[in-house]
Amino acid sequence: MDSVANRVLLIPCSGIGKVHGLIAREGVLRAVEQAFGGEVQTMCLPLLVVGDEEARRLVAQHPVITVDGCPKLCAYKNTELAGGKIARSLRVLDVLKEHKGAQPGTATTLSDEGWKVVDALSSELMGEVQALTGSGEVA
Amino acid sequence: MPERFAVLPCNGLDKAVGPLARETALIVVEDCEGSLICPVLYQNTPARYEKPLAESPLIVIDGCGTRCASRIAATHGLRIARKLTVAEALREAGVAPGQSLRPGPEMLEVCRRLAGQLLTEGPSAPEPPPPVADFSGPVEYATVRHDKFVFRVPVRSGYYFNENDCWARVAGGRARVGISDFRQQQLGDLTFCDLPRIGATVEQFGELGSVESVKAVSDILSPFSGRVVAANEQVAEAPETINEDPYEAGWVAELELSDFAGEVDLLLDGEGYLEVVKRKAAEYRP
Repeated sequence: MDSVANRVLLIPCSGIGKVHGLIAREGVLRAVEQAFGGEVQTMCLPLLVVGDEEARRLVAQHPVITVDGCPKLCAYKNTELAGGKIARSLRVLDVLKEHKGAQPGTATTLSDEGWKVVDALSSELMGEVQALTGSGEVA
Repeated sequence: MPERFAVLPCNGLDKAVGPLARETALIVVEDCEGSLICPVLYQNTPARYEKPLAESPLIVIDGCGTRCASRIAATHGLRIARKLTVAEALREAGVAPGQSLRPGPEMLEVCRRLAGQLLTEGPSAPEPPPPVADFSGPVEYATVRHDKFVFRVPVRSGYYFNENDCWARVAGGRARVGISDFRQQQLGDLTFCDLPRIGATVEQFGELGSVESVKAVSDILSPFSGRVVAANEQVAEAPETINEDPYEAGWVAELELSDFAGEVDLLLDGEGYLEVVKRKAAEYRP
């Protein structure tokens, strides 16, 4: 991973058992799949939570975009606690505001509307990644 | 209907086995109408899951050898009824997990089989609860007197010392660490104590933190290797606690030990350190 010095880390909340958590996770996965040139990488939030030294080193050395499903902001708070460089913090609720009335699905299965929200989230994520990697903000 | 369980998965994302652990957990919960525990939310807000954990036996599902879910369960002293590490199960079954973070139909079928095995295996003996580390027992002290100075050393009380005047009091697989009475008298009134981070690991004789007085800064070198599970905020707020009670209230950090048997021979017990203090006291010039 460190072979790409300016790689951006995308860290979603754990969010298991919640539809907004599922959207956060799927949005990050979609962004990683769509990215080319290896400019993004995801990271396992539980690794940070249990104090994994390598995970802590990576979030301190690479810019991080956190994606949270709910106001508890688990991804943001735990990344910050681990000493991470949080460049941007996205919330699924902010993306949902642009899709008023959408019924995204359940905690295990997204509806078509839910996948549209995922697409919107991943587009926003890639926009932020490009802003970070293209603007000189990333060393 | 199978027995109802609370399920704590690692919910990992950076290896293929993480999503498999997640999918297996979701199937288990659906099939037994159990409760799903978010590992990160539980670590941050354990009270949220008190009810399901009190009502149902716990299944822990890890993806890889890092075993984040098991570690979170251990941190909170949870009793695990059944556990699964997906990477190990796949290895035993001769199945390769692949690289994708999205399990395909074949891997989802594997997850269904793993979930079924977890739910249908006979009631296993619950894992013994983690040993309780009790540091409240009485401490027996010997004293070394030299000139007007009196130095205390705990003896026959489970304390071990390194040559840097740092002690570890061992109980139930854990140890509390601090500096000796001799060291705190050498330093004088302490003004600052730098605590280690919870979750940090330390090698034997590695730096665990430091204390500072008007005279000097002194590193705390850990007598044992382990993982920091607690830090004594009281000594950070009131470093003089270490001066007043260096061996009990003045503990600095608590470790989960990683290799007590392999490391203890490199340390001194109380009686051994007593001889060291006698020698140092004879040369002591404040």
